[in-house]
Amino acid sequence: MHRNLPQNKEALLKSYTTRLKEDVKSMLENFEEIIKLAKGDNESQLNRMTQIEQDTFEMQVRAANIVRAGESLMKLVSDIKQYLILNDFPSVNEAITQNSKLFRTKQQECDQKLMSLRDDIAADLYDLEDEYFTSIYK
Amino acid sequence: MANSVNISIEAPIENQIQEITYDGQEIYLAPLSMSENLARLAQKIDFSKTEDDFIGPAIKKEGEGSSDTKSEDETKDAGYQSSMWPWDSVRTKLRSALTEVCVLSDVLSIAKEKRYMVLDPIPAEQIDNRPMVQVYGRKKALAAAAAVLLAGVERLKASETMRTARNMPDFHIDLLRLRQNWRLKKVSNTIVGDLSYRTAGSKFTQTGVFEVTKASEDSIAHQMSLSAGAGGGAGAAPSALRVTVPPELQGVAFITVLCQKEQEDVVTATLNSSALNCPSTLPGEGAELHWQQKLEAAQNVLFCKELFARLAAEAVQLDASIPHMVVANQIMATVLPGIQLLIGLCHNNGQNNQNNGDGVKSEAQSGAGIGKPEHDHVLEHSLHQLLRAVHHSNTHHPFPHPATGPLGPSKRRCLAGPMAADRYELLDMSKEQSLLEQIIQQAQHFFMRRRAEIVLDTIASKEVKDPLIVSHWNALNSPTQSCVKINIMSQGYDAVCRTSLVVHVGEKTLKCICRDGKVRHMSYELQELRDLIYCQIYQHQMVAVQAVARCMGWQLLASSSHLGSGPVEPLGNASSCLLASPSGDRMIAVRCEPSVGIQVFIAQSPRKDFFVSELVQDKKWEHLGGSFKEIKLERMEGKNFLNKMELLMACLSSPT
Repeated sequence: MHRNLPQNKEALLKSYTTRLKEDVKSMLENFEEIIKLAKGDNESQLNRMTQIEQDTFEMQVRAANIVRAGESLMKLVSDIKQYLILNDFPSVNEAITQNSKLFRTKQQECDQKLMSLRDDIAADLYDLEDEYFTSIYK
Repeated sequence: MANSVNISIEAPIENQIQEITYDGQEIYLAPLSMSENLARLAQKIDFSKTEDDFIGPAIKKEGEGSSDTKSEDETKDAGYQSSMWPWDSVRTKLRSALTEVCVLSDVLSIAKEKRYMVLDPIPAEQIDNRPMVQVYGRKKALAAAAAVLLAGVERLKASETMRTARNMPDFHIDLLRLRQNWRLKKVSNTIVGDLSYRTAGSKFTQTGVFEVTKASEDSIAHQMSLSAGAGGGAGAAPSALRVTVPPELQGVAFITVLCQKEQEDVVTATLNSSALNCPSTLPGEGAELHWQQKLEAAQNVLFCKELFARLAAEAVQLDASIPHMVVANQIMATVLPGIQLLIGLCHNNGQNNQNNGDGVKSEAQSGAGIGKPEHDHVLEHSLHQLLRAVHHSNTHHPFPHPATGPLGPSKRRCLAGPMAADRYELLDMSKEQSLLEQIIQQAQHFFMRRRAEIVLDTIASKEVKDPLIVSHWNALNSPTQSCVKINIMSQGYDAVCRTSLVVHVGEKTLKCICRDGKVRHMSYELQELRDLIYCQIYQHQMVAVQAVARCMGWQLLASSSHLGSGPVEPLGNASSCLLASPSGDRMIAVRCEPSVGIQVFIAQSPRKDFFVSELVQDKKWEHLGGSFKEIKLERMEGKNFLNKMELLMACLSSPT
């Protein structure tokens, strides 16, 4: 990837990398936090029940964060696929050349067939014209 | 036992040795007295430790008792000990204990007074049940978090399995297919495609932008069930893509070209021309089309619109002798006098279907009675071809041209320098034929060709039976030029004589090249061709008679193709020839007038009605030949004119 990509394309690719890192980091951090909470001998000013409730909610939020990061990764995969599909010009060019080759051969085939058909018809037409104009039934 | 050794037995020493003198005498320390021993031991006691230690109250008491005894000892032994220091620590301890006790008594007295200080009972610390509650709480919290995670995983898994298990199309695969066939790009969050012919050289201003979206799973499932119900063949293949085409490009469009006789009232002609109405229903309408078909249809709509827009613009710009008319979605142009070319754009996008549907129906009914003329597929095709050629020429410039520039001189202009073209030639090069002009030319040629065909066929099959007229149309022709070869010959005598001519049918003119190399140009009025053919037929007959005569051994005495005698012909000139039999006693004269036909006369010598008169007395003059008598050809035997002539010659040359 040493080609000179336009600025915004480069920025986009960088943003993909940062998204990947961020999501993975978020997964890891949230997981660590959950583990820490589960271990938890953190003294606080709060009432014990309140503390427990808070921990519960925090864990849920963190779990949801992990899920979010996972889905964000899926989205990232889909985005990268889309980017590749839309910007992979070599493969598009290949497809175009292939298509044009296909159509050219098809065109040639058709042309040849039409030519031979035309020749046959012309020859037959000549005979038929001859026959028609010399017959008495006309 | 003389050498036995004396053994000395000593009691172990009880006292410590202080010093051993040089003579070996040991000086012992005096054993400690009881009080000395006590002081030594007391010195070792650490009272602070004793106080701090968790020792039962009994021991404490003992300690207290001992300290009491010690204090007594202290007082007792004060004079005995040289130094007071061994008991010093005891004393300081006791002093500090005294201080503390004093303080305690002070505090107690203050507390008892309750004036300055109140002592509150401290609740006994609860026994901690915290660990279990916390464990349960955490367990619950972890379970909740795990449930959230599992739900998330389920969601991902479900979407994945639903696609794979039910064989749903993949969005990205479809997108890849789409990308391989169409131009796509991403604009912010949407994928936008372009179906215009811009890259192929079109300069049409209307954009062909379409939007690609992902189909919802419900709609895919619905589509799949439909296609499964239809047996897989009829319905479109399910796709994960949805293509949104702008409304002006939706539906189906096509260009119709129609040639018709000019009608008196132009307005009614426009309104009543039922042939140009779009069909109200289209095949495959309503059903969700595959994106490929949908895009192709939209592209076709765009192409037709461009074509029509271009034609309409040209129709307005061109100043023809009979101005072209552009009314709504129709262009009217006069091809040949009396014949009109109608080019219409039909676009059915399903939206205006409702409002013109009724009109179409009623017109279709009225049109059905009249019998609607066929529209011209060939001209429609060539219109498409012409625009494609324009597109092609827009992008393909002949070399050399600037690598970046979209413009370049044409090949002819490139050659103009080396060929030293003058101003008029250059001006001529700059003129470009518009599409409308080209299509009008093609239509004109089409009509010229058809008319020529009709003329030749009617002459050959209905009007002229005697010489056979065989026309061969050339298979190699261009849209504006074709060629027909005409052979005129008589049956049975085609080896003897045949007249052939070639007619080039152009756009508005005919060019006829005759056998003698003469080239005749004719206008679009087909009467001219007709007259020419008739002239050629009579000329052929004359030439053929002479050829037959030569075969029969007869002698051509005279022939003239432009006879000065007789009435003036409306068409060409009369021609004649004079033939003599081999023996020279019979003569045949053939006179051919296009307006009358062929007349044959015979004469013989010696003439039978020769009488010697006063003027002509000699008998020899009877060989001069007598007057000509006309033969009734139609009553003669023979298949055709030449056959009759052959029979006549044979009859006349037989010596009877």
